[in-house]
Amino acid sequence: MSPSRTRLERYYALLPVLGAYLVLFLIGNGQPDMWQLVAMLAFYCALGQAFNLFLGMTGYVDFGYVAFAGVGTYGMAISISHLSAVEGIGGWAIAIGLLLGATMATLLSLAVGAVALRLRGAYFAIATIGVNEGFRYFVEGARIWNGSDGIIFSRDLRLIFGRETATALSTFWADVLVLLIAALAGVVTLLFMRNKIGYALTALRADEDAAKVMGINVTKYKIMAFITSAVFAGLLGATAWALKLTYVYPPDVFEIHYTVEAIVIVMLGGAGTLLGPLVGGLVYGLSKYWLAVTLPGFQLLIFAPLLLVIVVLFPEGLVGVLKKKIGNRPLGKFIV
Amino acid sequence: MLGEQLLGNLIQGLVLGCVYGAATMGLSLIFGVLRVVNVGHGAFIMVGAFTALLLFNVFGINPILAAPVALLIGLGLGFAVYYLVMQRLVQAPELASLLATFGVGLLLEETVKQVFGSEFRGYYWSVGQLDLGVTVLPMTKLYACAGSVLVAVLLYIWHRKTRAGRALRSVVEDAEGARVCGVNVNWVYAMSFAIGIGLTVLGGVLLTMFIPVGINPYMGGVYTLKAFVIAVLGGLASPYGAFFGGLIFGIIENGSYTLLATIEGVEPFALARALSFIMLLVILLIRPTGLFKTK
Amino acid sequence: MDEPLLRAESLTKRFGGLVAVKDVSFTIAEGEFFAVVGPNGAGKTTLFNLINGVLLPDEGRIFFNGKDITRLPVYRRAPLGIGRTFQIPRPFGVASVRENVAIGALFGRAAEKVSVVEALAIADEYIDRVGLQAHGDKPSIALTPVERKLMEIARALAMKPRLLLLDEAMAGMNPKDIDELVNFLKRIKDEGVAIIALVEHIMRAVAGLAERVMVMHQGSVLTDTTTEAALTHPKVIEVYLGKAPG
Repeated sequence: MSPSRTRLERYYALLPVLGAYLVLFLIGNGQPDMWQLVAMLAFYCALGQAFNLFLGMTGYVDFGYVAFAGVGTYGMAISISHLSAVEGIGGWAIAIGLLLGATMATLLSLAVGAVALRLRGAYFAIATIGVNEGFRYFVEGARIWNGSDGIIFSRDLRLIFGRETATALSTFWADVLVLLIAALAGVVTLLFMRNKIGYALTALRADEDAAKVMGINVTKYKIMAFITSAVFAGLLGATAWALKLTYVYPPDVFEIHYTVEAIVIVMLGGAGTLLGPLVGGLVYGLSKYWLAVTLPGFQLLIFAPLLLVIVVLFPEGLVGVLKKKIGNRPLGKFIV
Repeated sequence: MLGEQLLGNLIQGLVLGCVYGAATMGLSLIFGVLRVVNVGHGAFIMVGAFTALLLFNVFGINPILAAPVALLIGLGLGFAVYYLVMQRLVQAPELASLLATFGVGLLLEETVKQVFGSEFRGYYWSVGQLDLGVTVLPMTKLYACAGSVLVAVLLYIWHRKTRAGRALRSVVEDAEGARVCGVNVNWVYAMSFAIGIGLTVLGGVLLTMFIPVGINPYMGGVYTLKAFVIAVLGGLASPYGAFFGGLIFGIIENGSYTLLATIEGVEPFALARALSFIMLLVILLIRPTGLFKTK
Repeated sequence: MDEPLLRAESLTKRFGGLVAVKDVSFTIAEGEFFAVVGPNGAGKTTLFNLINGVLLPDEGRIFFNGKDITRLPVYRRAPLGIGRTFQIPRPFGVASVRENVAIGALFGRAAEKVSVVEALAIADEYIDRVGLQAHGDKPSIALTPVERKLMEIARALAMKPRLLLLDEAMAGMNPKDIDELVNFLKRIKDEGVAIIALVEHIMRAVAGLAERVMVMHQGSVLTDTTTEAALTHPKVIEVYLGKAPG
């Protein structure tokens, strides 16, 4: 078997993932009243894929994860609100917003990581638990970026794009971007898994001390996974929150609730797998949607014990269980 | 005078700190014995707060008497959670127990929300106050402080003098060795977890003396963060360290609010809350094993 | 060859009031098989941890290939050529046997950069050599204890070490497995890999392989000499009262 053919084959597992996102898009595009649901599912899948890059691959829980999405939101908000005065800026405002959001997320993750990633499991969780709250109160307390008033930039968006395009951006293109982010996160996940970094992460997740003995610089790889995961969160915030809602308000975007959802999605689907977050996002999103209709207000009450059941009885998640059953059959190479 | 104000703050901070310390001892105990971080810590504080609230509003029982009831409730909860959930995770990776305690906390919050609703509630209990010149101390807070000290002393006696306490120390020292010597390690784990939760719920009752109107199902989150700072300050595995860490934290928290209020253009309340987190990061950076060398 | 491969000078390690390793010095040459013998608690595993970097010594120094590695971080020692197995094997959980061994190849002494595909091929090579061909795809936690030990050896060898630290590699094996392992280790030794093996007793099996033996007792070196001399050393016999060698 020639090396290039083998190399390509290793990435076949991307097909179901990319296919699923394409199908989601086609469904939503074909049936306009399904778009809301598709958008929500896309968000959860993207959140899961992004979070999985860290939680799934390293086994570390970052309880303050949503803060990265929060600063990403600010990145887009700042970009649009400040650039609306620039003539003919057009689509560049979005591009810069994305870049700014990603950069801010990177910076925050470097700051948090510098302290937290030197710590082992439990201490790391403790350090991160305050990140979200701490950062939110810092923004509000020191009155950064308008403090607790937040930023409203719907007018700026209309200024740049005109009413019609601005609306299209918020109601359609923002969600398309979310789908693209989810797909990209999936690609990056598989790239990790098939390359040296994936092996390093697998080792350090299983047994950090033994990994070091094997020559793995665990801190370096933890940082790589951490920053990558944070960047995707930032991009997600910039699109699904900023672009879609055209405002940012600290208590909304630094809401620990989203970290909870991310944890449930990743664990439910299968931490550390490629398909896991996709499956988890779909199952979680659909269940939440259904519950919102049938038993409103009960969602977390049901997901909390569900999380416990998963953690205690099925820690490998749905895809993990699936892998065990059909991993050896030909179809198994698509379940990664 | 800023000086007088600060002295008054110091006293208030010490009083508050005692209670913070008592409310955190359970966290350190559980980590010290089981190496499990109870991420749902705040939810159990909330349970204690609701216990005090209900016993007072429904039965007219004052918080001092509610405290032992809360302890019993906490013990029961602790045993239940241990045997149903935590027991199976002793050998599992750290991630599992972190998520499990997190899930338990979440479940508690949601259950309480379903039963009692998410509005803020409170109760009013006043038995006079103590005028110290530089500051005025309500007797309720003084009782809470005294109760905290009492709890800490009782724990110390139990830990050092009773057979159960000795068994616990042997397991902390060397679990395998203790097992070989005939100690029922699983029972020690269950007992430690239950006592840890019991202390936490009890702490919740005592804390209501300081936040009598802020009781709601989601109040726990803030306390989880504070508890972590305090526990890390005192050395994550030491309940006594936690107590002293609480004192330090109480003083700093109180003092910082006053100091921050003198700075123009900031919101002191929000910034003081951010302070907890900054403290945590700083400690984890310089001295993750805590300020004290207790054993 | 003047400079020995590994040189330990006056290593001392204390844990609180307990001295686990006391003033231990020795050298290993390339391709040498060196056995460290001692009962549980003699300080053998602590010694390994010092060589590996998992623990740092309170006193003393370690030189590898002339380079002072006393305080070198753990993960930097493997690329120099120090491989290790553990007394209780530590497989990387859910990863397959092949992936486990490939990890050894990916982060070890890669004189050339090894790609993942190449590492997997190298892994297969070593899996064959230790006799685990049938188990390549299995998750490593599904292996029996003996199979795990073999996998650990394969994983350590995939790192292309110049020095292999074997911690109680033969514990729990039946005589037939031990003989096979001994033959295997002979071939490894012939390929130029130096081996330090920790064993509880001077077994006949080890005696056949080891040119030199260091006997440890409560952290100190009792004797460091040829195998035959160690077997008849009065102090050694005293410590091992009732344990006849062979």
